[in-house]
Amino acid sequence: MAETDTKEKLKHLGKLEKDILQCISCGDCREATDYTKNPPKWGVCVARENSPGFDPFYGRGKMQIIRSLWQGKLDLSKDMANVIYQCPTCNACASTCYYGIDCVQYYEALRADLVDAGCGLDAHQAMNQALHEKLNPYDQDNARKMDWIENLGFDVKRAGVDTADVLYFAGCTAALLPDVQAIAIKTASVLRKLGVDYAVLGDREICCGSVAARTGDRSTFRAIAEKNAALLRESGIKTIMTSCAGCYRTLKIDYPGVLDDWDFEILHTAEFLDRFIESNGIQLKNLGYHVTYHDPCHAGRHVGLYDPPRRILSKIASISEMKTIKESAKCCGAGGGVKKAFPKLALDIAKSRLAEAEATGAEYLVSICPFCNRNLADAAKELGSSMKIKDLVELVDEAID
Amino acid sequence: MLGKQGDNEGGSEIQKALGEIEEVVGSDYVTDKDFMKAAYSRNVDPAFPDRWADIIVRPGTTEEVSAIVKIANKYKIVMVPRGGGADLVGGSVTQGGILLDLTRMNHILEINPDDFYCVVECGITWGALVSELHLKGLTTGLLGPGSGYSATIGGGLSNSTAGYGSTKYGLAPDICLGVEVVLPDPEGTVLRTGVAANKYAKPFARYGVAPDFTGLFMGDVGTMGIKTKAFLKLAPLPPFKAGRYYMLAKNDYGKVFELLKELRYKVGEGLSDVIVVPHPVINLQAGMAKHKPEKKPRLTGSVFMIAFEAFDQRVLDIYIQQVDEIMLRDGVCRSFELHEIDLDEPLTKDWQFNLEFAYHYFNRFISVVPGTISCTTCHKIPISYIKDGERMSHAFDAKFRAEFPDKSLSLFATVIYLLPNGNAVFVGGFSGYNTEDQQPIAMQMWHKKVRAQVRYGGAHYWLGESISQAIVEAGAFTPDFATFFKNMKKVVDPNCLLSPNKFHVHNYDEDMSRYEEEDEPYSQEPGT
Repeated sequence: MAETDTKEKLKHLGKLEKDILQCISCGDCREATDYTKNPPKWGVCVARENSPGFDPFYGRGKMQIIRSLWQGKLDLSKDMANVIYQCPTCNACASTCYYGIDCVQYYEALRADLVDAGCGLDAHQAMNQALHEKLNPYDQDNARKMDWIENLGFDVKRAGVDTADVLYFAGCTAALLPDVQAIAIKTASVLRKLGVDYAVLGDREICCGSVAARTGDRSTFRAIAEKNAALLRESGIKTIMTSCAGCYRTLKIDYPGVLDDWDFEILHTAEFLDRFIESNGIQLKNLGYHVTYHDPCHAGRHVGLYDPPRRILSKIASISEMKTIKESAKCCGAGGGVKKAFPKLALDIAKSRLAEAEATGAEYLVSICPFCNRNLADAAKELGSSMKIKDLVELVDEAID
Repeated sequence: MLGKQGDNEGGSEIQKALGEIEEVVGSDYVTDKDFMKAAYSRNVDPAFPDRWADIIVRPGTTEEVSAIVKIANKYKIVMVPRGGGADLVGGSVTQGGILLDLTRMNHILEINPDDFYCVVECGITWGALVSELHLKGLTTGLLGPGSGYSATIGGGLSNSTAGYGSTKYGLAPDICLGVEVVLPDPEGTVLRTGVAANKYAKPFARYGVAPDFTGLFMGDVGTMGIKTKAFLKLAPLPPFKAGRYYMLAKNDYGKVFELLKELRYKVGEGLSDVIVVPHPVINLQAGMAKHKPEKKPRLTGSVFMIAFEAFDQRVLDIYIQQVDEIMLRDGVCRSFELHEIDLDEPLTKDWQFNLEFAYHYFNRFISVVPGTISCTTCHKIPISYIKDGERMSHAFDAKFRAEFPDKSLSLFATVIYLLPNGNAVFVGGFSGYNTEDQQPIAMQMWHKKVRAQVRYGGAHYWLGESISQAIVEAGAFTPDFATFFKNMKKVVDPNCLLSPNKFHVHNYDEDMSRYEEEDEPYSQEPGT
């Protein structure tokens, strides 16, 4: 095929053209085990570790495919998509790259070109269609986002109706899925106990669009982002707090990339609570639990949120860290559309992460992402593990009298 | 033979082989999809065109490798083994044929802390093995090549690699007690070498049972067999380590030799690494620093980076004192801090051993300017030859400047790395752009430069395809040696299927001398 023909099909990769040849193919993104690093690195790519492991399952192979596409040596295909999407976009490759290549940006551009070429995955297409039509990716009536609020047993302010300092953006997973709804409920409870002036959107809350951004449906993502921007501006809120790592990254990093004048302060619940507890001298009860902490990739490696959740946890429990933490933490396997399209891969990766957690001897595996929480809980169930999977706010709620 | 460049025949044979390999390894671990081939089409160099294998397979056991070899022989399909794929010299890609990605065989099978050896599958990376060993107070000494995060033990042995630890512990073959290897013959024969050739023995030593057949597979760049397991020598990990830097008062490579020789005579075991950063490179490094000091440093000559290790702090202190006395005597050198040129570099007092230095230091020179990649010309020379080697290299570059790729940066040595006894590596190369118009220019210059180095007596490693061919082109081998080499290969690989392009051994009928190339003289002979 002619190079010019392929380049026309690579609209999204084309925007990154100047760096397409940057990857020298050294392969550090495959593994890069290093006990001397702080924190130590025991492997890089969980997708490679839990798949057939050919080069396209990790960074180098993907970057070489991108180069070959760009040079007209290869065409987009469904077969290719089937491997390219077996990646939770956890950013471990980028954080390992000596040359600082922002690999995930390339993978997502490639996914966008695959989608435009009609090579996207059916599972994602259905999910993004639901997102487009119902404003959430779970194909549920968005009005059900009131369910958790109605179960609270106390009133909360409604953004757009009431004025408040902070908007609590629950996110679709915590708002709609009963098995992780406790995260939204306990967040509201904690905020109430702390006397935080906050509001929620309830059934008006629109998905942040993360799933569309991660899976390459850029037109849906942009449409959702614009809807959200209009809604949030109208609400008069300046600070948005979310308990979902996926929403957090999307609102904080992706929105400024597609929206003009996106000037909201975006905080993760863990970040907000850490500041609030410190500045107000809030005393938390030590629960006497033995916990370990899982860094969600979209809060950790993507944004750099590592210490606030640990600071809070250290006040209420004793922490034993896993073998891989912070920048070197292994992903749970759910993100990037993997759980939707490749549930077995997501589960296999989560089982590996759970094994790491179990090796600490902790009784609680704590995180700050409903999506990680759900996937790790699925793994615990599958393995018959006694490990209790909790969100940080659930423990904080217990620790506040 | 199938799988040669331009071969469009034999597609059905390839398909038959693919089906049979699938029966051996399962459908998940073999592929002939185009996007997979594209992903495996390059190594780290700017000179080779993309090369697509017909079949890529990830065997999980020695038995599977053996079965694949039998199938390849049945259909006369070429094979190329691949470790981490961080090869700098075109060694682990193939145009057509079967590419064996061996990284699935990455397990540590035994660490024997009593008898000081370990058994590993050859697809394990140096970083993974070293990390496990060091936490147990053991080490291979040599920590593998500069690409040790991704490079495998098998690749290191196949390339006789040097790397961090080489000053004290030598090259990869020096720590190898034997290998398990699959011969590329029709039977897919599996052998164990070293003392492990004695079927009753543990793999605890290299010599004694038979001739040193391990050596046949060291530095063979995957031409003699497919290494599946390695038996490696272990040493206790010295717990006390330190680093010191010294800058020569003058840019004098004769003085570099004198100091290396004196260090060798007087300090011995205390030196784990002696690395000389040539004067132009330390200037380059200063220019590349992200956070430069306000005051421009005075860079007078090459910098010695010396790492020490010992089992007792008092002994370590004596080693440092000895080196200080040698290096600082009569103002030959001054103490130096990398911090003087790069504020991100730690001060000597904060020096700590870390694998990142060992495995990332050279990355900065592999691609100095983004988008360019180095054509490596790493080669060993006797230390007494450092001055002449530097002069010859510059003379070559000056004479043939116009033949280099556009804007190429040529460095005779990014470092001069002291190896055991009296030899050192010139870790050098020149850069090129990985674009189709520039690739042939880079390749032509690469061969020509290596031929020149071979002719002044340099001994390369990372031979791969480009350098092994250039050695032959330089006429390095006597006719008797060339015949012996081919006869040895014919014994293990009668159908000439394993890595056939390397050393220009495309078949057994050709005379290697037909590839010899005359080159225009560019300098006076060494020593004049």
